[in-house]
Amino acid sequence: MSFHRVKAMFLHELHITKRSYEVFNDLLLYPLFNVIVFGFMTLYLAGTTGKIVADQVLAAMILWQMINITQYSIAVGCLWDVWSRNLTNLFITPITFAEYLFSYAITGSVKAIVVMILASILSFFVFNFNIFSVGVFQLFLVVANLIFFGFSFGVVMLGLIIRFGTKIQAFAWGLISVFQPLMAVIYPVSVLPEPFKSIAHLFPPTYAFEAMRKSLAGINIGMDFVYAFLLNFVFLFLSIAFFRAMFIKSKVTGQFARLEG
Amino acid sequence: MDVLQVTGLTKKFGSFTAVDTISFSLKEGEILGLLGRNGAGKTTTIQMLLGVLTPNSGSIHYFGKDLQKHRETVLEKVNFSSTYTNLPWDLTVSENLTYISYLYSIQNRKERVGKIAHIFRLEDVLNKQVRDLSAGQITRVNLAKALLNYPKVLLLDEPTASLDPDVAKYIREFLLDQRKQFNVSIILTSHNMAEVEDVCDRVVFIEGGKIVADDTPDQLAKTIKISHVELMVKDGLKRTIEYCSSKEISYRVKGRFIVVDIEEQIIPDFLRGLMDIGVYYDEIAIEKPTLEDYFLQVTHKS
Repeated sequence: MSFHRVKAMFLHELHITKRSYEVFNDLLLYPLFNVIVFGFMTLYLAGTTGKIVADQVLAAMILWQMINITQYSIAVGCLWDVWSRNLTNLFITPITFAEYLFSYAITGSVKAIVVMILASILSFFVFNFNIFSVGVFQLFLVVANLIFFGFSFGVVMLGLIIRFGTKIQAFAWGLISVFQPLMAVIYPVSVLPEPFKSIAHLFPPTYAFEAMRKSLAGINIGMDFVYAFLLNFVFLFLSIAFFRAMFIKSKVTGQFARLEG
Repeated sequence: MDVLQVTGLTKKFGSFTAVDTISFSLKEGEILGLLGRNGAGKTTTIQMLLGVLTPNSGSIHYFGKDLQKHRETVLEKVNFSSTYTNLPWDLTVSENLTYISYLYSIQNRKERVGKIAHIFRLEDVLNKQVRDLSAGQITRVNLAKALLNYPKVLLLDEPTASLDPDVAKYIREFLLDQRKQFNVSIILTSHNMAEVEDVCDRVVFIEGGKIVADDTPDQLAKTIKISHVELMVKDGLKRTIEYCSSKEISYRVKGRFIVVDIEEQIIPDFLRGLMDIGVYYDEIAIEKPTLEDYFLQVTHKS
């Protein structure tokens, strides 16, 4: 892996992010507004269902952004190159498949963490919620798992874009929301009816969000993080295999070359 | 020494064969024109040469190394410019050239970016976003990008399209200079036949996915027997037209001028014939067959 090429992709992402109003809106404005809306809702909840449930909902909303931003960053990062007809310019350089994905893993994680810091500061001062009440180490494990999953999901999106082009670009924004109810983000997995409960247990974020809720309620986390990491490795492996298959197929069918528009 | 060896390259899209078992080579320091009409298979060939399209069969070897197996090493020394690809439009010219210089792990990046910007007269637009540049400036930025990594093989798709004639001439001279100084090998596609004749040592002509000719521009032009004779007729234009019609010679009339398409060896007989019927002309210009005539003949045949 070449450090120079990873740095190149980092610079490329940095310049696009700082100049694009769309990226500013999608990565910063909308997530923070979501947190604000849920913040006020939790102020109301705190007076009815209690402070713990309110904190669990607000923490879930802040942490949900980790998945959303990481996957968005990867998928839309690729779309920017498709829209500006730059994908060929990128892939006729010596950059490898692994370097390309690794660069997006870094830039996606950085963006997600920056947004989390801002959302946490906002929650602390406006909604009287300290994200560290999850526990520093527990918070680290939850964030790591969610970014991990966001990356895998983003890689699947990347594979779909490279294989099918801009006709599926709306998925970059919306597809993750389809999975949100199944991953028991805001509510405990126990409220889901079967078979959704069983399906929820197939996704690593379900365990991460459960662990966050247990930690805030002062309950023993148990094996949640172990399951989350194990499933995340399985998802990562599958997503990279999927991306690789899509990339190869796209180069055979000519779709990859046609992505130039 | 061959820097590129293409053997039996084939690309099919379903039942349609876009490129059909083509083979050619590129020598060190050679400038090769890849010609053919739209849809002939030129772009498909270039996409395979760049590794962004996988062939059904055949092989591509750069510097004796298989492109598929040694992609990273090979692509360090290859680059490409096209009017149909672009650079990220939100980035400035300087940001684009800098991040690309990292992709090629170029040493002394700042110096290299400055030098290449100077060569392509881009100093004034270095801090402008690509979206704010004119078509000609974008073409120059694309060319600057293509030369950034000191390529040994350069693939250029319509390199001077959308450039003003003086800039296009400058770019052609620059390419010839690069070849002279660094022995760069170049494959270029162009619809400007005069440009191809001007810079290419050899031309590979593709039609229907197959190579129908592989020769120097001069030799290809020589296969065309018909020359164009342009006369400014002082007296006897009507008689000239009648004479051409009677001899079944094709002609076009432009005011007092008549242009006849005629085989080179019978030009003396033709002019003598005009004299015999009392035609007088003030000016005569004989235009020998060009690569464009060859292009038109091949494309009209099919």
